Amino acid sequence: MKPTAWEDAAIVKGRKTLFLLRQYLKSKGASEPMGWARFASTWIWIWNWWEPAVLELELVQPVPVPNPKIWDLVGPVPVPNPKIWDLVPAGYLFQFRPVPTKSDQFQFRPVPVPDPKTRDPPVPIPVPDPEKKTNFVSPPDYRLQSQYFPAMRTGSMSPSPIAHRSMPSSLCRAEKPSVTATFLYSRSVFPLSTSLSLPSPCHSKVLFATPDADVSSETGVWAMQDFYTLRKEVEATSSRVEEIRASAGLEQLAEELTKLENATGSDSFWDDRTSAQQTLVALTDIKDKINLLSDFQSQIDDAETIVNLTEEMDSTDTALLEEAATIVKELNKALDKFELSQLLSGPYDKEGAIINITAGAGGTDAQDWADMLLRMYVRWGERQRYKTRVVEKSMGEEAGIKSATIEVEGRYAFGYLSGEKGTHRIVRQSPFNAKGLRQTSFSGVEVMPLLPEDSLNVEIPEEDLQIGFSRAGGSGGQNVNKVETAVRITHIPTGVTVRCTEERSQLANKIKALSRLKAKLLVIAVEQRATEIKQIRGDAVKADWGQQIRNYVFHPYKLVKDVRTGFETTDIVSVMDGELDPFIKSYLRYKYAESMNN
Amino acid sequence: MTNIKSFTTIGLDNLLTEFSQVTSFRKIKQMNLTSLARVSFLSTSFTSRTLNRSLAYRPISCSSLSHTPTSLNPNLPLFLRPPTFTATVSDLKKWQNWAKSLALSVGSSFADSDNGPDSDILHRELNWLIEDTLESPKSLLLSEHDAVLTLRAELGDLYSLWKQRIEKRRPFQYIVGCEHWRDLVLSVEEGVLIPRPETELIIDLVDDAIKQNVELKNGMWVDLGTGSGALAIGIGRILGDSVRVTAIDLSPIAVQVASFNVNRYNLQDKISVKQGSWFDPLSEFEGKLAGIVSNPPYIPSEHINGLQAEVGRHEPLLALDGGENGMKDLLHLCNGVALMLKSGGFFAFETNGENQCLFLVQHMETVHHGRFYNLKIVPDFAGIRRFVTGIRS
Repeated sequence: MKPTAWEDAAIVKGRKTLFLLRQYLKSKGASEPMGWARFASTWIWIWNWWEPAVLELELVQPVPVPNPKIWDLVGPVPVPNPKIWDLVPAGYLFQFRPVPTKSDQFQFRPVPVPDPKTRDPPVPIPVPDPEKKTNFVSPPDYRLQSQYFPAMRTGSMSPSPIAHRSMPSSLCRAEKPSVTATFLYSRSVFPLSTSLSLPSPCHSKVLFATPDADVSSETGVWAMQDFYTLRKEVEATSSRVEEIRASAGLEQLAEELTKLENATGSDSFWDDRTSAQQTLVALTDIKDKINLLSDFQSQIDDAETIVNLTEEMDSTDTALLEEAATIVKELNKALDKFELSQLLSGPYDKEGAIINITAGAGGTDAQDWADMLLRMYVRWGERQRYKTRVVEKSMGEEAGIKSATIEVEGRYAFGYLSGEKGTHRIVRQSPFNAKGLRQTSFSGVEVMPLLPEDSLNVEIPEEDLQIGFSRAGGSGGQNVNKVETAVRITHIPTGVTVRCTEERSQLANKIKALSRLKAKLLVIAVEQRATEIKQIRGDAVKADWGQQIRNYVFHPYKLVKDVRTGFETTDIVSVMDGELDPFIKSYLRYKYAESMNN
Repeated sequence: MTNIKSFTTIGLDNLLTEFSQVTSFRKIKQMNLTSLARVSFLSTSFTSRTLNRSLAYRPISCSSLSHTPTSLNPNLPLFLRPPTFTATVSDLKKWQNWAKSLALSVGSSFADSDNGPDSDILHRELNWLIEDTLESPKSLLLSEHDAVLTLRAELGDLYSLWKQRIEKRRPFQYIVGCEHWRDLVLSVEEGVLIPRPETELIIDLVDDAIKQNVELKNGMWVDLGTGSGALAIGIGRILGDSVRVTAIDLSPIAVQVASFNVNRYNLQDKISVKQGSWFDPLSEFEGKLAGIVSNPPYIPSEHINGLQAEVGRHEPLLALDGGENGMKDLLHLCNGVALMLKSGGFFAFETNGENQCLFLVQHMETVHHGRFYNLKIVPDFAGIRRFVTGIRS
């Protein structure tokens, strides 16, 4: 695919600094941060996560360098083809544009230097060629680029026909006035309606809508296509109900129920009031759960009956079909809710979370990878509307970060994120070596609940703690003045270590580190089903927390795959933009199934 | 001559590059009015030119910044100043990015040359500077680009402050006018030693001593060479209601700053700050003191030249230089402690490390034989044997 893109080119003129450039790119719709940019004396080069060199530009006048040291220290910038700069005459204004994904397709287009006397020099802006635009179908990495340069799609791109076709029909239908369904539903004299009108929170709203509105004539015609979609949905939901009922262990529940009922029937039941109370609570819980599960079954049965009847009767009764669609929709919502409540039932799941990212061995590449992960989680947190805060960040020498800590405040943040702990592996073409070799790097992620101070009533014996203070060398004391007051605490029996650097005094850091350590130990205790911290097995902690959990392959193909659940996607860009929900959900299901099997 | 001096301090203080200072002083020597006028013109134009590159709003005069080490009125720490200035988010971010790249340019060069801060630490300091400057620190993250933030310092001042931090190696704590120490935030300024994290441990040592001998709570405690008042305030806060602490420093600035800090923590009824040399103001308490703590100057004179720039160039020599071997003041204190403490009284001194600790303990065991018991050397968190403690028999 030839680069078509000079019409997408933008111009930076005059003395633009990196920051102005960033602003400019953002105004163009690029998301922050764009990887990052580096200055050399006269040119700027920007690259993105997945590809070296996304943009390049040359400035009309070299940026005045206030302190030559700054630029020198940035160090040698890896250029895929260093010779390309030899071709560039100095003192020219260049346009910049997204570089096509293959680095050998670099192109430059020098433009004459504008007259410095005119305040706003005329800059040759390439005239868009409409012919070309229509030819611009779908370059291999169109999605990648469009993600970051949405403004460049300016209207010329019609939505992909494929996307349109695959849009679930339920979405289209959702736009119809829902009163239709309501009215017809309540009027229905179909025999099944008795079971349907059971008081269920799922469709209480629709039941009480006014039956006067008769709008069915407008929207009442059901195409066969819609019917098939509905049938498919009903089938899918049916298997989902089956799955949930199976994983919830209905038989076990029934057994438990009889056991508890027998217990309540015994003569000595009320002898111990507290245990009796507990038994009764457990009994109601189980009854509710069984009721809910059978409710799911009866609802999906109704929907299935409607579908079967319609098929047999050879004529479509719109009212019935609308009814089935409503049932399926509401049922799916209820199933989602049920699943989530089952999945996020850990004692700390509803708390906030602390994410700790540490670059693995492997220098700049790993540090860059850690930075990408940091961005990913921050994005995820923002998407969930959580209060997300990077509380500590230690920059890498050349690029990226050595470590970072994020605090995510919000309900269930820990429940969702707890499955993210472990080692994350990336495979890509390294932007940090000139040959662009394929490179594998690792970064570690730790997740702890953000527990309120008073809930940490665990006492850890002083002798189990090894407290280290980072204090940069020399003779210390009056000889040194550094604000670095990092504290690192190791729990000796388990080898669990936490670090805290963000506070401004040693004591504050120590207190915070200790509460983090406690939170971490509590979670590990829950994971290992230990009743107290003493019982935690250190060897298991090491194996568990260092486990490789997910692969992110950027090259030679694009794939993100979770090692534990097997869930995978090729849309790596969305994942790096924080679209983690499918992974999180699949892990939670996996965890739930695991716990059921045990 | 005086005219010119005041001109440079008021108008250009800290902002003149070395170049312009050299120029102006050379010219000043000629004591010629015309050249004098030209100098002022030269230097102003130079200043504005250097500044215009990065900031357009910086006024040429920056009196709010000028820190004169001899001032007797303590400067208000940045975070306590009224938020009377404003800047847009984008302007502040512009400054932040500029400051970041300046910090980045440092790399590990300071660390390599004199164990100074590296870029990482400077970035952290920058975040704290923003924290102290903004009225509501979170607003920077949450606000739109053109939103207006309220600041406690002028944006132009922030540029020059950060420049001082990097180029002159002015300590971060003097820049923001405070140091976080234990759970305290202490005001500091030029002329006052910035309390070190190591010293935090002395409070814990005192706490332990009181637990062992509750009677000590009721006696008089003394912090010798109090500086910012850190130890006195720390002790004042753990000892409870009955406590009386005297904080003593030779430096009038230190006395001012310590009093300010004591007042800020509302301990003026418990802690009295006095000016004087070591035990001089305490003659009435001979043999009556319950406890003595001190972080005296202990750096050997021969080491002063090689100190980290932040320390050697900016912190008061009076609080650092311990004479030959750094033992001059420590020995004086030792002898004084033997005289001043009551029986069962506790003392804790900070030292330069193992050698000084061993020497002190040996000195006490031989010269003051039998007067002390429970003499201990306590290491700091880095494992360096830092503190000497003991109890008067």
